[in-house]
Amino acid sequence: MVADMLAWVPSFAGSVAAMAQHGAEAVRGAAQEAASHGPAVEAAGAGVGGIALPGMGSKLYGLIPLLPLLGCAVCGLLAALKVKSKLPAWMTVVLLGASFILTAVMFNDVSVKGHGAPVVSHLFEWIRVHWGMGERATSLVANFAFYIDSLTCLWMLFVTGLGTLIALYASEYMSHDVGAGYCRFFAAFNLFVFSMACLVMGDNLLLLYLGWEGVGLCSYLLIGYFYKKPSAVAAAKKAFIVNRIGDLGLALGVMLAFVHFGSLEYSVIFEKAGPYIAAMKAGRLEEIPAIVQLIPVLLMVGAFGKSAQLPLYVWLPDAMEGPTPVSALIHAATMVTAGVYLVARAYPLFLLSEIALPIVAWTGALTALLAATIGMAQFDIKRIMAYSTVSQLGYMFAGLGVLTSAGAGFHVFTHAFFKAMLFLSCGAVMHGFAGQLDLRKLSGVGKVPGWRIVSMAMLVGCLNLAGFPVITAGYWSKDMILGGAFANPHMQAIGWILLVTAGLTAYYTFRVYFRVFAGPVEYEPGDELHAHGDDGHGHDGHAPEGRATTGHASEGHATSEHFHPHAPGWAINTVLAVLAVSAFAVIGLRFIGGHEGWAADMVEQSTARYEGAAAYEMAGGHAAGSGHAGASGHALFFGFDAHKAMMVVSGIVGLIGIAAAFYLHYAGRTTAARAKADALLPAMGPVAGWAQHKWYVDELYDFLIVKPLWVLSNIFHLIDKLLVDGLVNVLGWIPRAMGGVLRPSQSGLLHNYAVGMAGGIALLLLIVVLVTRS
Amino acid sequence: MNELYLFLLMVIPLAAAGVVALGPAGREKSVSMAAMLLCGVITLLLLLAFDWTRAATMQFEASVAWLPRLGLSLSVGVDSVALLLIALTALLGPICVACSYTAITERVRTYYAWLLVLQSAMFGVFAARDLVLFYIAFEFTLVPMYVLIALYGSTNRKKAATKFFLYTFTGSMIALAGLVYVAWHAAEMRKGWSFDIATLELAARTLPASAQGWVLAALLAGFAVKVPLFPLHTWLPLAHTEAPTAGSVILAGVLLKLGTYGIYRFAIPFAPAAFAEYAPAISAVCIVGILYGGLICWVQTDVKKLVAYSSVAHLGFCILGMAALNTAGLSGSIMYMINHGLSTGALFLLIGMIYERYHTRNMKELGGLAAKMPVWATFMVFFAMASVGLPGLNGFVSEFLCLIGAFQADGRWGAGSMGSGLWGSGGAAVPGATWGSLGPWYAGVAGVGMIVAAMYLLYMVGRVVFGPLVEPAGHGHEAHGSESHAAPGHGSESHAAPGHGSESRATTGHGSESRATTERVHGVLPADLNLREILTLAPLAVLCLGLGVYPTPVLEAINGPVQKTAYMVEDAVKPRLAGERAPAGVRPVFDLGGHEATNPDGTKPKEGEVIGQ
Repeated sequence: MVADMLAWVPSFAGSVAAMAQHGAEAVRGAAQEAASHGPAVEAAGAGVGGIALPGMGSKLYGLIPLLPLLGCAVCGLLAALKVKSKLPAWMTVVLLGASFILTAVMFNDVSVKGHGAPVVSHLFEWIRVHWGMGERATSLVANFAFYIDSLTCLWMLFVTGLGTLIALYASEYMSHDVGAGYCRFFAAFNLFVFSMACLVMGDNLLLLYLGWEGVGLCSYLLIGYFYKKPSAVAAAKKAFIVNRIGDLGLALGVMLAFVHFGSLEYSVIFEKAGPYIAAMKAGRLEEIPAIVQLIPVLLMVGAFGKSAQLPLYVWLPDAMEGPTPVSALIHAATMVTAGVYLVARAYPLFLLSEIALPIVAWTGALTALLAATIGMAQFDIKRIMAYSTVSQLGYMFAGLGVLTSAGAGFHVFTHAFFKAMLFLSCGAVMHGFAGQLDLRKLSGVGKVPGWRIVSMAMLVGCLNLAGFPVITAGYWSKDMILGGAFANPHMQAIGWILLVTAGLTAYYTFRVYFRVFAGPVEYEPGDELHAHGDDGHGHDGHAPEGRATTGHASEGHATSEHFHPHAPGWAINTVLAVLAVSAFAVIGLRFIGGHEGWAADMVEQSTARYEGAAAYEMAGGHAAGSGHAGASGHALFFGFDAHKAMMVVSGIVGLIGIAAAFYLHYAGRTTAARAKADALLPAMGPVAGWAQHKWYVDELYDFLIVKPLWVLSNIFHLIDKLLVDGLVNVLGWIPRAMGGVLRPSQSGLLHNYAVGMAGGIALLLLIVVLVTRS
Repeated sequence: MNELYLFLLMVIPLAAAGVVALGPAGREKSVSMAAMLLCGVITLLLLLAFDWTRAATMQFEASVAWLPRLGLSLSVGVDSVALLLIALTALLGPICVACSYTAITERVRTYYAWLLVLQSAMFGVFAARDLVLFYIAFEFTLVPMYVLIALYGSTNRKKAATKFFLYTFTGSMIALAGLVYVAWHAAEMRKGWSFDIATLELAARTLPASAQGWVLAALLAGFAVKVPLFPLHTWLPLAHTEAPTAGSVILAGVLLKLGTYGIYRFAIPFAPAAFAEYAPAISAVCIVGILYGGLICWVQTDVKKLVAYSSVAHLGFCILGMAALNTAGLSGSIMYMINHGLSTGALFLLIGMIYERYHTRNMKELGGLAAKMPVWATFMVFFAMASVGLPGLNGFVSEFLCLIGAFQADGRWGAGSMGSGLWGSGGAAVPGATWGSLGPWYAGVAGVGMIVAAMYLLYMVGRVVFGPLVEPAGHGHEAHGSESHAAPGHGSESHAAPGHGSESRATTGHGSESRATTERVHGVLPADLNLREILTLAPLAVLCLGLGVYPTPVLEAINGPVQKTAYMVEDAVKPRLAGERAPAGVRPVFDLGGHEATNPDGTKPKEGEVIGQ
C-alpha cells in the first residue's frame, strides 16, 4: 500500500498542471451531478489500498495533506543524514506552497464552481470492521477520505497559506539551530500541517480524531522543542494532557454518534439526523432523543480542550515556551481553531440540542472576559498575545453559540491573519533583543533602524485586534459576532460581556504597542545575550548554564549600553509585509459576495449553515419561523437594529480602549519602565495582583486535582505493595510453613521444578483417568 | 508439507537449543539467530499459505496419535487469530536474540538454549489443537522464563523468579482443574476420552449452568493471573523489573498474551453463557485495573516498573474489549494483543538499551537523554506515543475498538453483535438486558485510562528523554573518555555532561560497581544506538506505523473467527435468556459465508471430531 502511494506521488509530480486540469473537470462533473445537499461520492477505485489512477479528479486533493507528510518524511531523512543547511526549510516552503496552490484549486472547484456542494474524495480504507448480515449488517468504517465543502476550503486556505508564510519566517527565525534541531523543527512543522489537513478535510469523525490528536502531538513536540529547558518540557506535557481530557470527551462523542447513527461519516450522520432536524424545525423537540442531544455536549468538551476554553484553557499560555513561529501557526492561527471547526462541522447536531449551544455561548463569553482580564495584567508580550488568543477564541465560540456561525467563521479567518502577524512581530522582537519579552524593558522599538516593517506590522495587527473602526478586518468580524449576540433575544447578556471584553481587548493590545513600539528608544536585552558569540541565539539549552554562571546576568547589564539589536532579515520582513497587506485585504472579503461577505457565504454553503431554527430557541417558547433569521425575531439594541447599532457602539468601545492605553501608557512617558498605569497598580489593591497571577487558576487546579491525584496514586502504590501483594505473600508463607518437612525438595534448582511439574501433570492425568475408569 | 510447518516451528527451536547446549562454544548467538530466523521464514510461509477467506477454520491441521486409548494426540492447527500470535512470537524471537548480544556475557550457552526452548513452547501454545499439548506447552513456558529471570536478572532476581513461577503455576493448576473437568464431561457425553479442543468446545455446550460458572471461575483464575488482571498482577512488576531485557520483551510481548489467548480460546468457548453473565463484573475488574495500574505507573521512579505496571492498565483494555463479546470489542481485543506486544516490547528494548549503558533504571538518575542519544530518543517518543494510543499508530485502533465494543454492548443479543441496534433510539425493552450489558459508563470510565496513560508515559518521556541531561555517577568522566573514541561524532555534545555527574544521587557503592562494568560495556556500545540496536527496533516501528495507518487487513483477517465467537456466545446465551425471561422461541440458524452452519440444537459439525475416538 505504501509502495502504491510512493509510486503514485511521483507520477503526479511530473504533471501536476495537467492533473489540475483533469481534477477541475472531474470535480465540475461531480458537482453538477450532485444534488445540492448530497455529497458527490467519487470513489470508483475504493477497494483495498484503493488509490485510483491519476486523473481521478478529486483524488488530487489528497495531495494537500500528503505533500506535507512527504515533507515530514524527508525532513526526518535529512535529520538522519545530519544535513547542516537550510534545505529542510526551503523544501517545506516549496511543499506547503504547492499544497496552498492545490487548496486554491480545490477552493475554485468546490466553492466557486461547485457552489459548495460537498465532494467526497476517497483515498484508502483505514479501519473497517463488519458484522451481522442481511438487514442487520453493520460496519464500522473510517476511511482516509476527504469531505470537501466550503467550510473545509475556508479553513484549508489559511492553514496552508499561513503555513507557507510561517515556514518562510521560521527559515530565518530558527537559523541558529541549523544542523541541530532544524530538521526536527521542520519535520514536526510538516507533520502538523498534515494532521491539521486530516482534521479539517476528513470525511468522518475518526479521521478528524486522528488529525485532532496528531496536531496535539505536533504541538507537544514543538512546545517542547527546547527540550533541555524544564519549563518547556513541563508546558508540553501540560498541553498534551489537558488536551487529552478534552479528547476523551470527543472520543466518547464520536462513539455515541457511531452507536446511535451507525456511521462515522458526516454525510451519513447528517442524513440520519434529517428527521430530527425536521422535528426540531417544527418545534416537536420531544421527538429528539436525549442521546442525540448529548452527542454535541460531548463533542464540545473536545472543542474546549483544543481551543483553550474554560475550564481547559490553562495549557495555551504555557505553550508559549515553544519557538515563536510555532506559537503563531499552531497556538494562534490554526490548531486552536480546530474546536471552532468541530462545532461548525457538527453544527446540525448542535442545533438539535437545547443545551449545547447556550453552553458554547456562555463558555465562550466567559472565557473571553476572563482571558482579557488576565491579559491586561501580564508583562510578557507573548503571554499577552496568548491570552488574547484565548479571548478571541471565546468570541468565536460565542458567535457559534448565539447562532451567527457566519460571523464566527469570518472571525476565525481574520483572526488567523492578524494574530499570526502579531506573534511573528513579537517573535521578531524576541529574536532581535536576545529573548527580551518584558514590556517594561522595551520601548520605542519602532524607531530603531531596521525595525520599521516589524513596527508597521505590529501596528496593523494591534489595530485589527483592538477592532479599530472601519479600516480593520478585525472590526468587521468582531462586529458580526457582537451584532449577532445582541440580535438574539436569548443572548443579550452574552452581547454585553463581549462588548466589555472588546474594550478591554483594545486597551491591553495598545498597552503593548504604546510601550514596546512607541515612546522613547530604550531597551534592555534578554538573557540570551551571551549566545551571540558562539552558536547563534540559542533560545535553547542554555538555561541551566545561564543560571549556573552568575556572571552572565551582570554581563548582560554591562553590555546593554552597547547592545545592538539584531534587525530582522529579508525573510521575516517579507512575511510580515505580506501578512500586513493581507490583513487589510481581508476587509475586502466583507464586501464581496452576499450581504454579510464572502466568509459568511462560505459558512452558509456548508454544514455550519444556520437555517433559522435552533432547539434552544424553540424551547424558549418561540414558534417556528420567529427565530433569529426572521426579521421579526430580531432583538433590538435600545430600539435600534442590533447589527447597525453595534457597528457604531463597538467602534466607540474600541476607540475608548485605545485612548485609555494611550493615556496610561504613552502620554508623557519618558522611560521604558514608567507609565501612568504603573502608578495605578497599587491603588487597585490585590485585584491587579490576582490578575497578574492569572486568578490563581493553575494553583487551584493543582490543589484540587493534581495533588489529590498524586496522593491517591501513592496510596494505591502503597496498597499494591502492602495489601494486594502482602496478601499473596501471606498465602505463599502458608505452604512454606507447612512444607518445612519437605524442605529438601525446595532446592531452588530448576531441573527439580521442571521434573516435578511434568510429574505433577502426569499424576493429575493419571488420577483423572483412574477416576473415570473405575 | 504445509502440515509439517507447525511441528517444525516447535521442533526447530528445540533442536537448536540442543545444538547450543551441547555444541561448540562461541556459536551460541549465530545458531540461535539462525534458528529464530528460520522460524520466521516458516511463519512467513504459513502466512502466505494460509487461506484467509476461511480464516475462522482451523488450517494446517495435523495430528499424531500419542496414546490413542486415552484420546491423547499431538494435534496442531491454527485459525487466523492463532496464526497472527504465532507471527508476533516469531517476530520477537530474533529481536530477543539480537538484544542479548552484548547484554549477556556470562553463561551464554544456557541463556540461548533456554531462550530457544521458550520460543518452542510459545509456538506450541498457539498451535495446539489438543488440550494436553496446549497445557504442557503453556506450563512449560514457565521453566525457561524462570531460568532467564533467576540466572540473568538483576539484584532481586531469585525472589522475582520464584514468585513468578509459584504465582502463575498456582493459577494454572486451578485452570487445569477446570479444563480437566470439561474433558471429563466430554468423556461422559461421548463415552470416550478426547482432548481435541474442537470436540471439547462442542461438549461444553451441554454443561449445566452452574457447572459453567465453576468452569469459568477456574479458567479465569489461571488465565487472569497470566494476563494479569487486577488484583492478581503483583508478580508482574517484580518479574519485569528483574528480568533481563529479552525476558521482559517476551514476557510482555507473548507470555501475557497466553493469558488473554487462553481466555479467548478456552474461557469463552467453554463457558460462553457464564462469561456473558459475568461480563459486567469482569469488565469492572478490568476498569479498576486500567485506572489503578495507570495511576501507580505515574508515581514510579523505576522506569521498567512503570512500563510493567502499564501492562496491567493496557491489558485491562484488552479484556474489557473481550468482555464486550461483540465483533467490535473482540476485534479490538485481539488487535490489542498484537499491538501491546509490539509497542510494550519495544519500550522494554529501549529501556534495556539504557540499562546496558548506565546500569540504572532509576528515573532520578537519568534525564534529558535526548541530548546524548537522539536516535534512541526518537524511538522512545515514537513508541511511547504508540502506547499512549495516538491515532495513526497501532495502539489507537485496538483501544478505540475495545472501547466502542464496550460502549455498544447493551445486552441486546442479535446478529452476532450485541447491541448493533441504534443505541438510545428507544425501541422495545430488551429481554435480559442485564446479560453482558456494559454500555457507555463502562466505556467512559475506562476511557479515563486514556488520560492516565498520557500522564504516566509523558511523565516518563519528560523525565528520561527531555529536560537537562542527568547521568548516573561514574558516567560523567570515565564513560566519556572511552566513548569519544567509540563515537567521535558525539564528542562535541558530551561537553555538557561532566557538570551533571555530581548532581546524580547514586550511592557511592553503586557508583563504583557500575564504573567497573561501564568500561567494559562502553568499549562495545557507542553513546547512541548502534546499527544492531536500530535494526532490532526498526521492524517494530514499521509495524506500529503500518498497523496504525492500515489495520484493515488484520481486522479483516480476524473478522471470521471473531464473528464466529460472537455468534457462538449468542447461541449459548439466547436459550438461557429465553428460559429466564420469555418462552423459548425459534433458534436462529446462522449461515455466514465461510463459517459453519449452526444446527438448531446448538452443535456444530466439525472436521476435528474424528480425532481421539
